Formats: sequence, structure tokens, C-alpha cells
Amino acid sequence: MVNGRNVERRTILKAAGATAATLGLAATTGCGGDGGASADGTVTIRYAWWGAEDRAQRINKTIALFEKKYPKIKVKTDFQPYLDFWKKFNTQASGGNPPDVFQNAIGFLRKYDAKNVLLDLSEQAKAGNLRLEGFRAGLEKFGEIDGRLLGVPVGSNSMALVIDKPVYTRAGVKPEMGWTWDDFDAAMRKIRDKTGRAGDSGMYGVMYLYDLYLRQNGKAFFTEDGLGFTESDLTDWWTKAKKGVEDGRYADAKKVAQIKPKSAVTGELAAGEFTWDNFTVRYTAEGKSEYALAPIPTTDGKKTGQYLGSLMLSASKRTQHPKEVAQFIDFMVHDPEVAKIMGYDRGVPATQAQYDAYKPTDEVNKAIAAYEESLVEAGVLEPITPHPNGADICESAFLRIAEELALGKRSVDEAVKQFFTESKTALGS
Amino acid sequence: MGTTVTHAPAMEGLSQDSEPRHGPVKPARPAALKRRRRRENLAGYLFMSPWIAGFLLLTAGPMVASLYFAFTDYNLFDAPKWIGFDNFSEMFGDPRWRHSVQVTLWYVVVGTPLKLLAALGVALLLAQKRRGQAFYRAAFYAPSLIGASVSVAIVWKAIFSDDAIVDRTQKIFGIDVGGWTGDPDMIIYSLVALTVWQFGAPMVIFLAGLKQVPRELYEAAEVDGAGKLRRFWNITLPMISPVLFFNVLLETIHSFQIFSSAYIVGGGAGGNACGPADGSMVYTCYLYVQGFENSRMGLASAMAWMLLVAVALVTAVLFWSQKRWVHYEEGAR
Repeated sequence: MVNGRNVERRTILKAAGATAATLGLAATTGCGGDGGASADGTVTIRYAWWGAEDRAQRINKTIALFEKKYPKIKVKTDFQPYLDFWKKFNTQASGGNPPDVFQNAIGFLRKYDAKNVLLDLSEQAKAGNLRLEGFRAGLEKFGEIDGRLLGVPVGSNSMALVIDKPVYTRAGVKPEMGWTWDDFDAAMRKIRDKTGRAGDSGMYGVMYLYDLYLRQNGKAFFTEDGLGFTESDLTDWWTKAKKGVEDGRYADAKKVAQIKPKSAVTGELAAGEFTWDNFTVRYTAEGKSEYALAPIPTTDGKKTGQYLGSLMLSASKRTQHPKEVAQFIDFMVHDPEVAKIMGYDRGVPATQAQYDAYKPTDEVNKAIAAYEESLVEAGVLEPITPHPNGADICESAFLRIAEELALGKRSVDEAVKQFFTESKTALGS
Repeated sequence: MGTTVTHAPAMEGLSQDSEPRHGPVKPARPAALKRRRRRENLAGYLFMSPWIAGFLLLTAGPMVASLYFAFTDYNLFDAPKWIGFDNFSEMFGDPRWRHSVQVTLWYVVVGTPLKLLAALGVALLLAQKRRGQAFYRAAFYAPSLIGASVSVAIVWKAIFSDDAIVDRTQKIFGIDVGGWTGDPDMIIYSLVALTVWQFGAPMVIFLAGLKQVPRELYEAAEVDGAGKLRRFWNITLPMISPVLFFNVLLETIHSFQIFSSAYIVGGGAGGNACGPADGSMVYTCYLYVQGFENSRMGLASAMAWMLLVAVALVTAVLFWSQKRWVHYEEGAR
């Protein structure tokens, strides 16, 4: 009896072991080896991006289109808001399990390149799975670092000044391409005096605007491995900005912080603010007034220091399906139908084919297109300055410390010192 | 344990043993007994194994790993690099870290006593017999049950943000400071308010303590002409001091570990995770930022161990202090 039971147990164990082994084998053939390809050769790739519900709906439509064209490739998506996206991505990537393809931005290129996460897509381009021609304004080089292609741009955008048009009109200010910082300053005074509203929401913490200002003066925010400006540069910038708040040209920082996440412009605290041009869509949805795009002020009446910024698609070095990922990226940046679905959600489409396919009909998107065209016409666009590994941490430090300064929690000198200390740690220099 | 030994004969009768026993157990058949005991032990360990596995894998393992990481430079991607005490010296030299310590201490020192006062006050009211007592107890306890949830923190943020109900009410009284959550000086008050609102758990413990106070003491004091306040001060408080000690200890430790409410009310998704101008940057919030936003897991681990040491120290001080103010009944200790 006892013996019999033992035998029985052993048999069960053996059977269980065998099953486990088979399952294990099945799992290996399923996930390892030729990598996620199921019996009929269908592969699944994971695609992660940041954004909100509205973008999700558009992206799902483009994926449906892609899966129709490539029936052997399935795409699984995953999205979060911007900050949460990077936290999750970071954790996944460090665990060796990043998504196969994901939305990326210039501030993260070197960071994840240094951590060996990004796939060099030039191999796939050579193999013909990814076309690199047809990009607008030299954008095809955008995601290139040291000769390796680490990202492919999907859309471009540029810094702009978003204004509350009726307020500007009431104050009698008409910003024009080539206006100087002195003109801008005079305009801020006029708006404050004539309309009782602050002219700007406070440019303290807009890292990308400060970058333009530096570029107008022959410097830049970042060099390849560090900061491209000195403590005294930043002291000047933040002193000017602080004075602007004190005399009412820029909005009260406390109120601006209070109404977050609503913007100071739509919250009617300020007549304008500097931001990316494709964000204009948000203002129209959020506020009651009419909003327009104005050019960036200059130092010498000509140079704005502007460049096209861009969202990119990057692939993971660990992906089992580099070919399929390349095909996916190729489809997303070149297919005209995709542009019709996405619109200017991720900026103006990066390829000429997509740019031509989508002609905006609504006022906001028309304004964005017109703005970018005006930049090309004025010939102010320059190549982007590199962002070193750690740039993302510098940016959030810049944003935070500028806010502390604006809220009166720090003096200019303290703020500058703090920023440089934190940046040195972040950039490892 | 002592109880088991004294009551051993009585317990035998309750055991699952089929053989009826007469008289005291003879030390006969030691081998069989041993075997049975071993089998029982085995069963015991078997039943405990999910917990043991969980403890080893999910608690002990990560703790050991984190202790190691605390002395390394570890960014999740590259192999950890041993740097000795560098993380700790960096921590002490970091003004943001010191700020987070200040915010946390402020939160503990202000929030914990207020919460305990609210708990004791309501417990005193609910200890008296009145109609609907059960309902009130449940109603006051409810916030504690749902308190740790993210949804409550979101609601809290909605209540205290700009142009929300608190702000509007303030404006009726002519106080126009805007919402609390957007104000670096005020946001911490909204967190204190949140913790005070969740006084239910210590309240229930206080209630239990109050029930234990012998009525004769009050009767005797009344005969001696002691007023209400005097009776509270000289009878209630000393009698419940063990319970009070327990609550102080628990709530203090709890306060040091505040995270989710601060993280969500202070920003969570979008912008600075620690409130405007770091206004609500409690210790764990900064720890999270260093670990998950700046990818400095070594530093974050060091911070975590520093917190453990700090809480241990505070606990030790509290235990030491109890000799002076906690009264146990004669012989109970």
C-alpha cells in the first residue's frame, strides 16, 4: 500500500516533470530561438509611447492600418503620460525587457545610448527595411549619433511664442519676425500698462527658450558632454526674468503654480508664453480666447537660434525582430494614410510624403503649418545642439529650480549655484 | 509559550490523538513520539512555506541587496560599483536632502500629535453610551480603511487645489491665498489635514483602552470631589498611557514613511513630483525621485537605510522615555 502509493507519486512526479519539460520546450520555441514567431510565422512587437487618450485613439487606428498591410506582424501598445513613461521604460530597460519600438526624444538619445539600449537602425536601412529618403529639411540625420542611427523622426516642431491674440491687439503690439529682445521687453510693458495683464507667464524655466537665447549669442545649453554656458550667463538670464516678475511684466509665479496643470495663458494670467508650436492645439481646447503663434525674439534682429525639435521612434537593441521593427518605423514615418490620421499631434510630419498627405483644415493646425513655413522662409533654422547623457535630469532640475526662484524660495545666486551643482552630478562632470 | 507548558496535560486531551490517555504521559516509546513530532514539524513548515518563501524572496533578499547597493554607485544598467560611504556623504552634503528631512520632521512633529489628539478626543466622546454609537464608530473609522488609497489622495488634491471647495470657502471669509496644493508653504498643511482625518485606527485602539479603565476609580475620585478635567488628567490619562504609548509609537513610525499621499497630492504625474518648489517633498518622495527619476538606485538605497536607522533611533528614544510617563499596572510588567 505504502509502496504502491510511492510508486504512484513517482509516476505523477515524472509525468509532471515531463509536462513541465514539454511546456518549457514549447516556451523556448515560442519566445526564444526565432523569437516570438508563432507557428504561422506571425511575430508580435511591443510599441510604447507617451501621450494621452486622444493620441492613443489615433495611434490605434494607424496600427490597425499597419497590421492590415503586414498581416504577419502584430503590434501591442502601451502608453503613459510623459514622466511615468520614462520611469516605466527605465525599469523595463534595466531589467532587459524594453519595448521593441518606442517613442523617443532628443534629451534621451545619448542617455540610453550610453546604457546600451538603442538599436543602430542604419543596418536595417542598408538592408532596405527602412527608407531614409524623403525627410524634410535634413531631418533624416536627426537621430544620428556618432554615425549610428538611433532614432527616426516622426514629426518636427519648433519653439514659438503662443499669444492671446485679442490681448496683444488691445495693447497695440504686433510681433514680427526679427523683433529683438528690446522690442519684446517694450511689448511686455505695453501689455501690462494697457491691458492690466502680465505679458508673459515667466520664461525662467523654459530650458528650450534659454537654449535659443544662448544660441543667438554663440553659445548653447548643452555641449556634447556638459553645459555650454557659464554661471554668469545664467545669473544674467534669471536676474532679468526675476525683475520682470517684480514689475509685473511676467505673471505672478504663485498664481501660475496654483492653476497648474492649466496654462497661465488660458488661465488669463499672462498674454503669452514660450512653448513648442504643436502644443497650440492644447490652448485652443483649454481657453476661451483666440490664440496665435508669434516669432521668437532675437538678439541681432535676424538670428532666432531655432531648430526643429522632434519626436522619434527608436528600437531596442534587445529586440528579437529588428526587421519587423524597421518595417514598422518605415510605415509610420512614410505612409501617407498615417499622416492623415495623426495630423500634427506629434508635430508636423517629418517626411515630405506625409507632409503633403495631410493638409490641415482647422485654424489651429493651419497656423502651425504656416508658422513652420515662415521659419523655413526666413531661413532661421539651424542644426540642433547635442544633448549629453543626463540632459533629462538637467532639464527637470532647471524647471524646478526656476520655479523655486520665481516663488521667492531662492535668490538668483543660490538658484544658479544649485543648478550647476545638480547638473554636474547629472552629467557626471 | 509559558502557558503551553503549564497547561500541557489539559491540552493533550484536545489533541487529535485517537488513543485515549489515562494519567500523566509516560515517556514511553520515545522513537514513535519523535517521529510524530518530526511529522508535525514538517507539516508546520509546509504550511509556513509560502510565507517563508515570500519572506526570503520579497523581503529578506531585497533588503540584503539594498544594503549592498547602498554602498555602490548603481544606475540599474551598469554593474554596481563599490564606492564605500560616498552615497552617505553625498546625502548629507545635499541641500535638497536636508530639505526633505526638514519637511518630514515637520510633518511628523505636527501631524502625529494632532492626529492622536483627534483620535483621543473622538474616542472619549464615543466611549460614552449614546444612541447610534455603532454608526458613529464606523463612520469615524471609515477614512482609515480607505485612507492609504490613491483615490483618496486624488480627491484630497481636488478639494484643496485652486478654485476648489476649500479655496472658495476661504474666499467667503475674505482669505484669498489660492488653493493649498499649488502653494509651496501650504501644501504640507493639506497633507497634515489628510493624516489627521484618518484618525480612525488609533481611535479604535483608544476606545479599547478607555473600556479597560476600572469604573471604581472614577467613582472614588468623584466621592473625593475631583472634577471632570481632574479625573481625566489623574485617572484616564495614566490608565490609558500604555495604549497611548502604543499609538504614539505606531503613528510616529507611520508618519516617517508617508509616501503615496504626498506623491499624489504633490504632483504625481506631471511636473515636479514633490509639490511646488519641493513644498511637500517628504523623505520618501526624494528617495523615489533619486531612485526612479534620476536612476540612482545606490543613493536611493542608502537613503532608505538612513530612514531605517532614523526610525529605529526615534523608536529607541520613545521606548526609553516610556519609563517616565507610561504606567503599567503593578505586576503586569
